[in-house]
Amino acid sequence: MTDAHGIGWLGIVLAIVGGALRVSTPYLYVSLGEVLTEKSGRVNLGLEGVLLMGAMSGFAAGSLTGSPWLGVLAAGVAGGLLGLLHAAICNLPHVNDIAVGIALFLFGMGLAFYLGKPFIAPRAAMLPALPFGFWSSEPAVRAALEISPLFLIGIVLAIVLRWALANTRWGLLLRMAGESADAARALGYSVNTIRTLATMCGGFLGGIGGAFLSLYYPGNWNEALSSGQGLMAIALVIFARWNPLRCLYASLLFGGASALGPALQTVGITAGYYLWSAAPYVLTLALLIYSSSTRHTLAGAPSELSISR
Amino acid sequence: MSAMQKPPCVEVRDLSKRFGGVQALADASVRFAPGRVHALLGENGAGKSTLVKCVMGYYRADSGAILVDDVEHEIRSPQQSRALGLGMVYQHFTLVSQMSVAENLVLGRAQIPATIDWKAEHRALSEFMRAMPFRLDPSQPVASLAAGEKQKLEILKQLYLGRRFLVLDEPTSVLTPDEADQVLSEMRRLAESGMLTVVLITHKFREVMRFAQDVTMMRGGRILATTEVAWTTVDELAQRMFGQAAITTAARQASAPAAAETTPCAGAYCEVRDLSALGDRGTLAVVDTSFTVRGGEIVAIAGVSGNGQKQLVEVLAGQREAVRGSVVIAGRPYRCTRAEMQRYGVYLLTEEPLANDCVRSLSVMANLALRRYDRPPIAWRGWLRRRVLRRFAEELIARYRIRTSSPLARIDSLSGGNVQRTVLARELSEDVRLLILQNPCFGLDAAAAAEIRGRIANARDRGVAVLLVSEDLDEVLELADRIAVMSGGCIVHEVGRAHADRYELGRHMTRTSEAEAA
Amino acid sequence: MRSPSDAVDRPDLTQPPAAAPRRRLSLAALPAYAAAVESACLSLGAIAVALLLFGVFVALGGHDPIAVYKALYVGGFGTRFSIEGTLTQASPIILTALCTAVPARVGLLVIGGEGALVLGGLAAVLCATAVAAAPGPIGALVALLGGVCVGALWIAAVGALKHWRGVNETISSLLLNYIAIAIFNHLISGPVRDFSQTLKATSWTVPPAFGIGSMPGWSVHWGLVVGVSLCLVLFVVLRYTTVGFSMDILGGNRRAAQVAGLPIGRLLILACVIGGGAAGLAGAIEVLAVHGAASESLIVGFGYTGILVAFLARQNPLAVIPVAVLVGGISASGGLLQRRFGMPDATTQVLQGLIFLCVLASNAFAGRIAGVSRST
Repeated sequence: MTDAHGIGWLGIVLAIVGGALRVSTPYLYVSLGEVLTEKSGRVNLGLEGVLLMGAMSGFAAGSLTGSPWLGVLAAGVAGGLLGLLHAAICNLPHVNDIAVGIALFLFGMGLAFYLGKPFIAPRAAMLPALPFGFWSSEPAVRAALEISPLFLIGIVLAIVLRWALANTRWGLLLRMAGESADAARALGYSVNTIRTLATMCGGFLGGIGGAFLSLYYPGNWNEALSSGQGLMAIALVIFARWNPLRCLYASLLFGGASALGPALQTVGITAGYYLWSAAPYVLTLALLIYSSSTRHTLAGAPSELSISR
Repeated sequence: MSAMQKPPCVEVRDLSKRFGGVQALADASVRFAPGRVHALLGENGAGKSTLVKCVMGYYRADSGAILVDDVEHEIRSPQQSRALGLGMVYQHFTLVSQMSVAENLVLGRAQIPATIDWKAEHRALSEFMRAMPFRLDPSQPVASLAAGEKQKLEILKQLYLGRRFLVLDEPTSVLTPDEADQVLSEMRRLAESGMLTVVLITHKFREVMRFAQDVTMMRGGRILATTEVAWTTVDELAQRMFGQAAITTAARQASAPAAAETTPCAGAYCEVRDLSALGDRGTLAVVDTSFTVRGGEIVAIAGVSGNGQKQLVEVLAGQREAVRGSVVIAGRPYRCTRAEMQRYGVYLLTEEPLANDCVRSLSVMANLALRRYDRPPIAWRGWLRRRVLRRFAEELIARYRIRTSSPLARIDSLSGGNVQRTVLARELSEDVRLLILQNPCFGLDAAAAAEIRGRIANARDRGVAVLLVSEDLDEVLELADRIAVMSGGCIVHEVGRAHADRYELGRHMTRTSEAEAA
Repeated sequence: MRSPSDAVDRPDLTQPPAAAPRRRLSLAALPAYAAAVESACLSLGAIAVALLLFGVFVALGGHDPIAVYKALYVGGFGTRFSIEGTLTQASPIILTALCTAVPARVGLLVIGGEGALVLGGLAAVLCATAVAAAPGPIGALVALLGGVCVGALWIAAVGALKHWRGVNETISSLLLNYIAIAIFNHLISGPVRDFSQTLKATSWTVPPAFGIGSMPGWSVHWGLVVGVSLCLVLFVVLRYTTVGFSMDILGGNRRAAQVAGLPIGRLLILACVIGGGAAGLAGAIEVLAVHGAASESLIVGFGYTGILVAFLARQNPLAVIPVAVLVGGISASGGLLQRRFGMPDATTQVLQGLIFLCVLASNAFAGRIAGVSRST
């Protein structure tokens, strides 16, 4: 009895840890991409569409070419193109970037389902996993500690971005475009170009996040693949105060929260499954309420950002 | 930083520029001698900034030539002028407030290295600043600098980037008289030491006489005359500038209705007690401010921009909540509800009316109705009667001479003066008992400004309590009965008009500002 | 002392002083409906461009664009059957469009129609069950009111969070969508589940007496009339009452609304209550008229389509009616496209997305004729 219970509770913890390591990866990529976009002064709410397009393209390219890494690349390119579309429309005068994001969300979703119809299949070539749990004999531990190389790349990316934003020319220009478009223009830089490039990079990373979903976990392509993860990344970025390293920690947190529902299911707690699955959204909303205030703008928000004004 | 170069000599010959139907610049010829301070004097619209922007490459002149060191250049872009060592410091800061002094300076460079070694940069910057008249801490965020320090940073930026020809566009507009004197005397010193050529765009005779060596007068896009300051006087400058209707500051004060024709009422109509309010960054912008305004007097709150005046007016307008203190009108607490505004007759005119108290996308008619649309006769049991509204608007347009093509035109198609007239018409046509004004004549030409000041004085004469919050010291001295100085968020000095002295007021304006880095 | 040598606002270093005002003044003398005409032209232009792009898109996929256009028309408006399908599709999206359009008038960008709709449908079921013994019309009314109230409260929360806490309404309403769907799914799979339905999780059935029937001669339910009437009422209220004018001021410039002493919090909540109530009503009508119970068939994206309709109609309740019919027609033709060309049913979503993007891009051209107010 104690044994079964012991495994039961340990199982939950392991599931959460495993979930954090696994499920956090798309959050990580999408939020890092959105940090770049928002630091330049634009909000891209269409990330859900980007995510789905990335997932679909990655899966399609992966099954067509047999190489999951080419799939990842294709996913990034697809995301980058959608980012370009977002930027191109937002560059026009009097266009509200929040509205464009919603439109992109719907368009990207439709496009992904349309193009992805022929590819709905159980599995394509999958991304490899690195077995960090080799030291344990418990299959549960082993399963939890299977880490995708994309996750590791993501960690490196977070660190690099944090450094680059402060210490490189591109980082400086990006931040300037997001803090004061007037100053940027006064110095002769094209704010639209900077924002376009930033949004494309954001889309590229978002696409890769989607590829993770279809090429690693859950590892297939169908129409129920994502349910708001792209959107949650937006809230994640706010929660992380636009700091790439904090995005990493927040992604792990959200990944763990997302894994709560399925984790409880594995130990037989099936009641309230849907409510547990809402945990990340509730968490996000709570954090948003907590960090918002009518008296002053969100701390750390780029001044040109429309949602913080 | 590049080695010390000789400051360039810039000359323009027969420069002309037309914008649509407006001849902004006509056959302008001036020579800016190297190593001297050259003032460009003129009112709004005289063509000073057009001239300078042609030199700086923001506009391309229609005809004429620009010579740098006697070599003709076709300056087609700001990058070109910068490469020639020409720089400009604007009125509005072009700094990024969330970044540090060092980041702002590095950003201004034409060639920014791909990766930046901040330690080395900070060291180089400190080195550079040692030779400069102003010094700032490279790691300080610009948001925490005072307005005077920001202005100095802008100048430093130009010097850091190796510009030896510097145009200063109304540099002292955000500085106190003392800060202004300090900055301008430093500029003069740098010019005299052979390091800079300075062009000073201004409309203040005082600055021209004290700090400039040459002066060029402009009006209507034309150069009236260029002369050395030593050979002229203020009166002569004024004569040339305004011809018959010469209005110097002194003359304005003499002719203005300084003393009220009626004595103010005994009790205070509006009383502000220990008011405190937060600014946009979360720190207190208004700190325990108290003052009173009585009917039939104009109380002016003078001060340099950025000392809490904007936030104070926002509290009175209902756009900002106070954290402490209270506003009492006619003995009752005032909470800025619509009903109270009508009951106590509180009306106001803010600066930049299009942004603050008009709705751009609505018509002139709709904006004129802002105070009345929910009352009969325009409203009837909740319904809006547009025909009555239109008649009301047409009447106001005629009475206040608002120039608009039709009452249905969008309000942002009107000129600045007409927008201000619209708001004034709307506010003054109500039963006003307390009138709050903030920089009411900002951005207006002299005629419109005079008209508005006249109406303000008239309101005061009718017994209205007037609170004038103004950053224009001349306007304050012209209109006020009582003057209060606001600095660092609180009232630091109060004086009646008769005993007011410009320089003393200026000194009070800086009483709580940070000590400048030596 | 401050006196500029340049324009009042920030120095626009690359633009010459505007000579434009002169031109705009003369055109501004046009009557007020110039604004409406310009809006309509822009929207139609956007639809045309989107259709063109869509044609290219299907051509790339190997289908004949002209044939597809024909199918779109036939599937939406060609036969009596397709018109009925279109109107049935349009009925809920007229209402969910109001969930975006009305808050937009006060400057809020709310996209929570989906969540309000599903909760409204669920509330209708619960209310209907509570008064199961009541006569038909009363029961239906109670159920509809229940849907309205729940939807109104749900979106009012968005407005309240925005006003009292400064939380961005777009993000919060979108999050609330997912939370609403989670609550909905939880309840219909457990506490309010009708276990006799084995195909999918379905709630308790609404007593048939409470159902909303079809209009005589047409297989379109009365819910359409409810939606159209509400749009007409709101149009009149927003344009001809002082409350509507207050909302215009608030939506036009919040600072001006403060100067005018308007009760901003109340206006924001009012707009959200109206919008949320409309979306909740849509859900309740769907349950009473179409499904008879709440199930996952309620979560088909009516809320999101409503957002598109609101933007295409430029947030004008009157324009929402024809636009909803048009967009409903596109949705309805999805079946025909699938049968005739084998195209996946996401095809109509691609077209709708394209239209949405084109409409937003067309905003760049709005206001070329002075006197036009730009929507969000």
